[in-house]
This record gives sequence, C-alpha cells and structure tokens, in this order.
Amino acid sequence: MTTSTTEFPPEFAGFHENARAKRLAFPFCRPCGRFHWYPMPRCPACRGREIEWRPVSGKAEVFSFTRVQHPFDKARTEALPYIVALLTFADAPGVRFVTNIVGDRLDEVKIGQAVEARFTADRNGEPLVVFSVA
Amino acid sequence: MRLEPIAIAGIGETRPVRRSEKGLRALVVEAIEAALADAGLDPSDVDGVVSDGLVMPSTVPRDWVAAQFGFARDYDGGMSFGGAASASAPIHAQLAIGSGLARTLVYYFGVDWGTRASGPYGFHDLYAAKAAFEKPYGFVGQPQYFALWARRYMHQYGLSERDLATIAVTQRRSALLNPLSQATRPLSYEDYFAARMVSEPLRVPDCCLITDGACAFVMTSLERARDLAKAPVRVLGVGFGSEPITGDDVFTQPGGMMRIPGARQAADKALRQAGVTLADVDFAEVYDCFTISCLLQLEEIGFCKRGEGADFIREKGIGIDGGLPVNTHGGLLSHSYLLGVEHVIEAVRQLRGAAGRAQVRDAEIGLVGGLSNPDYGVMILGRDRR
Repeated sequence: MTTSTTEFPPEFAGFHENARAKRLAFPFCRPCGRFHWYPMPRCPACRGREIEWRPVSGKAEVFSFTRVQHPFDKARTEALPYIVALLTFADAPGVRFVTNIVGDRLDEVKIGQAVEARFTADRNGEPLVVFSVA
Repeated sequence: MRLEPIAIAGIGETRPVRRSEKGLRALVVEAIEAALADAGLDPSDVDGVVSDGLVMPSTVPRDWVAAQFGFARDYDGGMSFGGAASASAPIHAQLAIGSGLARTLVYYFGVDWGTRASGPYGFHDLYAAKAAFEKPYGFVGQPQYFALWARRYMHQYGLSERDLATIAVTQRRSALLNPLSQATRPLSYEDYFAARMVSEPLRVPDCCLITDGACAFVMTSLERARDLAKAPVRVLGVGFGSEPITGDDVFTQPGGMMRIPGARQAADKALRQAGVTLADVDFAEVYDCFTISCLLQLEEIGFCKRGEGADFIREKGIGIDGGLPVNTHGGLLSHSYLLGVEHVIEAVRQLRGAAGRAQVRDAEIGLVGGLSNPDYGVMILGRDRR
C-alpha cells in the first residue's frame, strides 16, 4: 500500500519538494546548528522551531544493511531480494537515512561502503532517493 | 509512599495457535474465565480492569470486557502498549489497591495477528514517518528493523550467526517441554542454518512466531491472595522505563537503534523495590521478538556488559538447567507470540512449582522483561515465603 505524500504532516513536505528537484535535504535546526531525522515540528535536541531544509552532497556511508528475502510487501515480490540500507552522512551528522541500494555492484555492499544518491520515483510518481555503490 | 504488597492470584491462557476460528474477543473472555477460576474468584469480586493502552482499546476494549463479566470498574487503566504494558501491569495494582480505589484487578492482553490481514505489521502504520520515509523503500516490518540491528551489532561486537542460533536452539528445547507450545519440532543447529533467510542475517528461527491467543491474570493484595485458591506469587518489584524518542525514530536513529531504551531504568526501579539484585534472579522471561533483541535485553537489563551478550549466553547457559534459564516456556520464538503476556503466565507457573518438565529447580525469584520500543517494563516475582 502506498500513501500519497499529500496525507503526510506538513513538516514532511520539504523532503519531497527537494527530492523532486533532485536534491537530498534534511531538517536543520538553525538555533542549535544540528541536523535531525525524521522531520518533526520541534528540534529534538533544543526544542526550537526554526528548522530549515539544508541540502547535502548525496555522498553517504553504509551504517547497516539487510538483503531482504521475504515478501513483506506483495508488490515487491518480483524484486526479491532487495537491499535496504541505513546510511550516515559526513555533511549531515545525526541523520540516518533508510533507502535501497541499487545498481550492478550489490556484491560490494558492506558496512562502511561509500555510496551516492540517485533520484527516481515510485509507481505513483512520488520521488524516491536511492543509492548506488560509489 | 508505602507500597501495598501485591500478588498474582490467578492466571489464564488460551491454547496459542497460528489461526483461531474463535475471534479475539472470545479468546480474551476464555483467558479471563480461566484466570478467575484459577484464583477461585467470582466476577463479582473484580473491581478493576487493566489492559495495555493501545492494542486492546482498539480491539477488545475494557468496557466491553467489563460488560461480558459484569465487572465493576472502580479502577480502569491502560499504560504503554504490548510487552511493556504486560510486564509493568502491577503498577496499576500498587496504585489502585494502595489508594483504596479497588481490591482485585484483572489484566488481559491478546492478539489475532495470525488471522488479521495486516498481521504484525499493521501496527506500525501508526507512525507517519515510517509510511513516508521507510515503506516506499520496502522497509516495512520488525524482522527488517532487527536485521539492521543484528548486522550492525555483528560488525561492532563480533557476534556470529551461531551465537544467534544458540538462542533459537536452546529456547526450542525448552518449548518442547511445554504442552501448549506452538512449535512442536526440535531445532538443531543444522536445521537453523538450513532455514529460510527472512532479512539477512535473520532466518525464520530468529523471528518470533505469529499467534492468535490471549492471556489474563488477577492481581490483588498479598494479604487477600493468601486466602484464595492458589499459593500467591508475590510482585516483589515492578518498574517502567522509557526514553523521549518516538516510535518513528527508535529503530534507526541514534539513541534508539541497538539500544533498548528504558530497560535499565525499569530493571533498576523493579530491583530497588524488590530489594534484590540480578544475582538473586533464578530465571528470566525476556521479550524475545527476535534472537538479537533477546540478547540485547540481557545486556541492557544488566545481566552482562554491552557487547558481551553472546559470551554470557554461551558461558552461563540459558536452558532450563543453565546458570540463567531464559524463556523457560520457549518464549516468543518457540512458545507463542502474545507480545510477552505469556512470559508473565510462565513466570507465575515456575514460582508455583507447576512448570512440569520445564520446572527450574528451586526457583524462588523470576524476572519478566517486556519490550515495546522505546518503552520497557520489568516485573520481579517471588515465591511467597511466610
């Protein structure tokens, strides 16, 4: 089941707007100078509300990953196995991003592997940010 | 405040099954009937009804349960959810009985995630960020969350797949000693490694079962429990702990991932109240939704240090005859997956000396740990020594 981005809380919108413009951006709290993830109305570190979307380079590192072999999502049965990874960013400390690693070098995926962003869309045209081995 | 000494006076459970024809509400009624009969109480003796604060209110609400039995609800409560709620339920009894609001409380919990179309995953639809930022990448369920934990833990602390297998294999051995366990076939290391991969590095035996079923237990003052049908099992201490991190973040973000926020807090509170240490605990029923989460909870509760869970399990032994028997009924992995309420039932059974072939010798004190990230509940139960 896919939920339309229009049903999400307003503080989520910046991610999808940036992703449509092929930018990866995360919420950044101006008063305390820290990134956080996921988006929320108040900064989880300082409780401030002056939050902006700050674009990052799209270069990331694998913090953990799993090769999914069970059809949790019936729509993805044909794509099995696929790789879900949790990434960290040198230019956005504090953020861990859930994504897929795609492309033809999947055997090289390991913790610490450098990866870079690729912009795509789901079946409904909603933007997705996936990664490939750098 | 002086805490009223509380006891568990009755326990009830339905036979856990993969799919039940009966319906969840009927299963809950059956479990409560059994718990009252076990305590030798009549529904007219009950004046407080307690469940978790999230799963039961939308499936088997307390008003519905009260109406089925004619229970008075001089106390009515639900805090946290799932496993943390079941393991911290005596907090309600301490408050309600200690303040004079009620004398006898029934706690119940059950799920029909075996028959329900959304299974165990529907629950996470509560969290908007999961829907927006995880589901589109096929990251939709608990086995995947804990797969990321297991992989990272292996990288940081050198955990092996065989260490995870030890938990699954040992608990299966215990499950086969319990007549109600859903898992009925032995599991060898060879079977474990031959099992289907779900989300690497987790295989089918690393993941809990899926169950339809319900459990209930009756809580009253220790004094009153001593006049009832069964020897009371004392609540020596109870604790609840959590961290201010949301269900959205807790599986992946710093502060949540690979930590069980609240476990140490809850354990410290319960142990302090009980006036015992972990060294006094004869067995532990720990929320083993996955092998890796069971191992992490042993660390976070404080049985061993961070990163030493695998060594602890190997050296101490977690089987019935081990140094610290863990999940003596087989746990969520091999007995049933009722989110840990069955761990409470098993702990009471052990302390009554009624666990049959799975009986831990000379069991005097047991610990129950219930997880619902980021919440955690700990109950320390003890034999009534007068």
